Amino acid sequence: MTETTQETVLSVRGLAKAFGANTVLDGIDLDVHRGETVCVLGPSGSGKSTLLRCINWLEKPDSGQITLNGSRIGVRPGGNILMNDAELARMRARIGMVFQHFALWPHLTVLQNIIEAPLHVQKRPLAEVLPEAEALLRKVGLQAKADAYPARLSGGQKQRVGIARALMMKPDVLLFDEPTSALDPELVGEVLAVMQDLAREGMTMVVVTHEMAFAREAATSVVFMDQGRIVETAPPERFFRNPQTERARQFLLRYAGAQPKELS
Amino acid sequence: MGLTAANWLALLQGATFTVALSLAAIAIGIPTGLVLALIRWQRVPVLAPIAAVLVSILRAAPAVTLALLIFFALPTIGVSLERVPAAILTLTLSTSAFNCEIWRAALLALPKDQIDAALSVGMPRLLRLRRIVLPQVARAALPALVSEITLLVKVSPAVAVLGVVDITRAAVRIGAQTYVPLPPFMGALLIYSLIVFVFVRLQRVVERRMALANEVLR
Ligand SMILES: Nc1ncnc2c1ncn2[C@@H]1O[C@H](COP(=O)(O)OP(=O)(O)OP(=O)(O)O)[C@@H](O)[C@H]1O
Ligand SMILES: [Mg+2]
Repeated sequence: MTETTQETVLSVRGLAKAFGANTVLDGIDLDVHRGETVCVLGPSGSGKSTLLRCINWLEKPDSGQITLNGSRIGVRPGGNILMNDAELARMRARIGMVFQHFALWPHLTVLQNIIEAPLHVQKRPLAEVLPEAEALLRKVGLQAKADAYPARLSGGQKQRVGIARALMMKPDVLLFDEPTSALDPELVGEVLAVMQDLAREGMTMVVVTHEMAFAREAATSVVFMDQGRIVETAPPERFFRNPQTERARQFLLRYAGAQPKELS
Repeated sequence: MGLTAANWLALLQGATFTVALSLAAIAIGIPTGLVLALIRWQRVPVLAPIAAVLVSILRAAPAVTLALLIFFALPTIGVSLERVPAAILTLTLSTSAFNCEIWRAALLALPKDQIDAALSVGMPRLLRLRRIVLPQVARAALPALVSEITLLVKVSPAVAVLGVVDITRAAVRIGAQTYVPLPPFMGALLIYSLIVFVFVRLQRVVERRMALANEVLR
């Protein structure tokens, strides 16, 4: 099993967010420790994506605190002054994100996609970045595709590039928003395999997913959301065998049919 | 066609002028249109609504009206321009407005997650613009921008009202001297056709290259 420590990497306190009259997040508290894989489950519209997008301030929270390794995100130290674009960018560089629809940059090749931020955000020299990029592509099984454009890749390959792009920044935590939901069923496994490797290697991850088998096997803890709140937090064994809340039970029943395709 | 060598020379001088004016207007108008489009796209407070109103007025204004307005109205507020700068300003304002709409359409068509991805790796605003937004938007906008150049050449005779001797005005002069207006206008038409033909060819080449590139990118 993954080695986790009590060191808190990401801490969310009292996070709230509404779109107009629609309260989407209603007081979220969440701690993610180093090396943990937290799987976020919940019905559609429960606010899972919004939670991830608030963590790296792609969406501005209405209230609450988000702290990464002790530094507040979005608000300057000590004050109530919001960070400007450049300050937010520096914080976001430490948080990786993997998107449901990959969001690769179509005008750049696979290799260019993954070295873009290390070169231009971190301003590291190409000679240093290139070997890392090549090693990472090998790790996700795409060394042969380095010079291909994203349009030439399958969904599974695109998502592995998406993961490599995020990993190149050596983030403190990696956020996944339904990374396999847009994939043909036969391509889901190759992406989950990469994610499972990362979990095993001790990457700190928050994974929104509908892949119950993945949550069961890779999660260190499962967070169940409904209507903008965290309804239940439990280790995966307990959550899947014996959910404590009625809503989680209902949710698992509904997903039971579309479920345990075992991971290879 | 019954035109003397001197007549042709006058027409060609006019043509050079037409092309030079158009190219100057394009060189200024494409970046100006981009800036206006970015202001609207980013919803910059105060400036965005001003840009919106300005662009819709400029798009609606006939070039002749615009030219006269600039030449005769500006002096009343203490700015007076020579004929040539006034002509360039007229064409630039007009093409900037159309270019703004072209750039804006391309910006609005850019999927939002392209920006999200750039944000998520920590790109600050200018880097996002330079590395992620502009390369994609320029590709999308290029064919329409080139076609706007062709349209600009065709509205350029409007600046003849300022006394600038472009092709059309050169033709009018020759007709007035020879009392046979038809040949110089046919000559003028021929030259316009050649210029537009060149730009349309350029447009084709650009479109074909874009299609090839898109095949790789899409
Ligand atoms: N930018 C936005 N503007 C307005 N409403 C939004 C926006 N983003 C999300 N919402 C609303 O917030 C609610 C929660 O959305 P969210 O995408 O976070 O849910 P989710 O749990 O990720 O759902 P799914 O499983 O379908 O992805 C939904 O009602 C959605 O319509
Ligand atoms: Mg979602």
